[in-house]
Amino acid sequence: MSTPLLSVRDLVVEFPTRHGALTAVDRISFDIAAGEVLGVVGESGAGKSLTGAAIIGLLEPPGRIASGEVYLQGQRIDQLPASEMRSIRGKRIGMIFQDPLTSLNPLYRIGQQLVETIQTHSALRTAQARERAIELLSEVGIPAPETRIDAYPHQFSGGMRQRVVIALALAGEPSLVIADEPTTALDVSVQAQIIALLKRLCRDHGTAVMLITHDMGVIAEAADRVAVMYAGRIAEIGPVRDVVKAPKHPYTVGLMGSIPSIDSEHTRLVQIPGAMPRLTAIPQGCSFNPRCTDVFEKCRHQEPQPRTVGTADVACWLYDGATK
Amino acid sequence: MTDTQALVAVSELSRTFDVSKPWLNRIIERETKKYLRAVDDLSFVIRKGETFALVGESGSGKSTVAKIVVGLLPPTTGHILIEGVDLADVSRVAELRKIRRRIQMIFQDPFASLNPRWRVQKIVAEPIRAFGLEADDAATTRRVGELLSVVGLDPRDGFKFPHEFSGGQRQRICIARALASKPDFIVCDEPTSALDVSVQAQILNLMKDLQDEFGLTYLFISHDLSVVRHMANRIGVMYLGRVVEIAEAKMLFKAPKHPYTRMLLDAVPDLEMTGRAHQQIEGEVPNPISPPAGCTFHPRCPFANERCRTEIPAAIERADSLIACHGVEEGRLD
Repeated sequence: MSTPLLSVRDLVVEFPTRHGALTAVDRISFDIAAGEVLGVVGESGAGKSLTGAAIIGLLEPPGRIASGEVYLQGQRIDQLPASEMRSIRGKRIGMIFQDPLTSLNPLYRIGQQLVETIQTHSALRTAQARERAIELLSEVGIPAPETRIDAYPHQFSGGMRQRVVIALALAGEPSLVIADEPTTALDVSVQAQIIALLKRLCRDHGTAVMLITHDMGVIAEAADRVAVMYAGRIAEIGPVRDVVKAPKHPYTVGLMGSIPSIDSEHTRLVQIPGAMPRLTAIPQGCSFNPRCTDVFEKCRHQEPQPRTVGTADVACWLYDGATK
Repeated sequence: MTDTQALVAVSELSRTFDVSKPWLNRIIERETKKYLRAVDDLSFVIRKGETFALVGESGSGKSTVAKIVVGLLPPTTGHILIEGVDLADVSRVAELRKIRRRIQMIFQDPFASLNPRWRVQKIVAEPIRAFGLEADDAATTRRVGELLSVVGLDPRDGFKFPHEFSGGQRQRICIARALASKPDFIVCDEPTSALDVSVQAQILNLMKDLQDEFGLTYLFISHDLSVVRHMANRIGVMYLGRVVEIAEAKMLFKAPKHPYTRMLLDAVPDLEMTGRAHQQIEGEVPNPISPPAGCTFHPRCPFANERCRTEIPAAIERADSLIACHGVEEGRLD
């Protein structure tokens, strides 16, 4: 097998507190192949955004990578000094944040922000960079880019702003884009447009995407593979179709059942009792065991490790020795 | 529209907001007053025991409707009849209070709608005290305990403060408070949009159970079509302050008529992974301060013609549904 584009091995993100370290991301491992869209889904506090931030080196202190390794095209990047990381960020890994209003500087014109980003990552002159910026804007579907390039962010609507943010993320022609809830702040009709745009651009450029979201629907639309996170761990990771249609981990089963469907009749939603544990009180053994319907003795003491079940990797004792 | 079973009848409701700049600015910059028509000529009926949902994107005016219906905002024009009684005509305070007791509201953000300095006991007891429903403190405490168990919390949770609860539990407290005055009609303004999906399922199930148990009528406001599909009997689709289509939930999802409804349904991410192709709709919701002339949806509508650009479509009734579209009226769209 060729080297994956991004490889995360046993990544641990900790927040040191007075009462000891809180483990927000607990020994997760996954790969993203070139050109692949990996969805990372989970509820608030599952650690999905922190995983993205850790990869790109934007963890807010006091959060820190306590152990584990992150490789980008075979090169280890989690221990790089800040200056080298800065040259990777934007150039080789692009980033799209949730709120397009806060990820653009309100005091600069769109064009200035794009030109700055382009010139940071290439040797283009300002005029050429501006040409390139107009190209990018038209590529992300902004009408009349030659005039809109001189507009300020507040003159754009939410969906148009998110398009600008996508243009910014793609400006350095990165091989990986980390998109953290890119459509959460948008209306459903605009969300559909942005997902379609993201899919098209990444296909055209061969860019891989790590798509972080809480919305299983967005994942089903856009991703090739999906990782379901729960309490800082990956419960299940596999091809989207298999995970959505035939989830294996009891948490994924519950999660899929709890989503009201637009196609089916009024049925009672599956209810997962309780809520995700706080970081201060992650239960022993499998972190899902207090809410799990299929729990047995082993779950309460020993933490399950991911094992291959069919096409997916599932961290659940139910599948212990089932297939190997 | 008259309906014998109607619990709430809203007729020709409009609400405008003054969004002009201050007087001095207007003089200096020679600007006229600006108004935002948040709700425009809206009529619908909510029948006893049903869940009527209003869906729409941001800026469609659905939350404004919710506020007007519960009386938090006065309408600019139009009437709201509760069992045939117009709230604006009720002059005696005692009578108004009687009607008010029967209407409650659940808000979107359970972090903002509970007083952080009050214990849950006091929060849930507030409607009971305000309407004088229980004889003494002991009875009130008992009733609060009951309410908390009804929504799936422990009666002892009454001694805690809101910050000790998670989002889902807080929304349960909000529901307990809404139930405290024994209402028949609850307005729910995006009750689950601040919650995670597994918690949302708990709250939606709870709301359905409570509806069966107490015979509640809901006005359910949401932007999420799949949630609405799950909860509602009838659905009104709003766009820029106007209702474009009202229909039975089943019909609306099976055979949406209005182009906007079709677009909304099409835009919902496909969880069944049927691989259906999405029809791309361009554009976004226009600025409601200067909405387009004619049908407000025409700039985004693939079926728009000259008439749509100039004439505001009137709502026409068709077999238990209501639709405001020239295309459907003329038979251009089936």
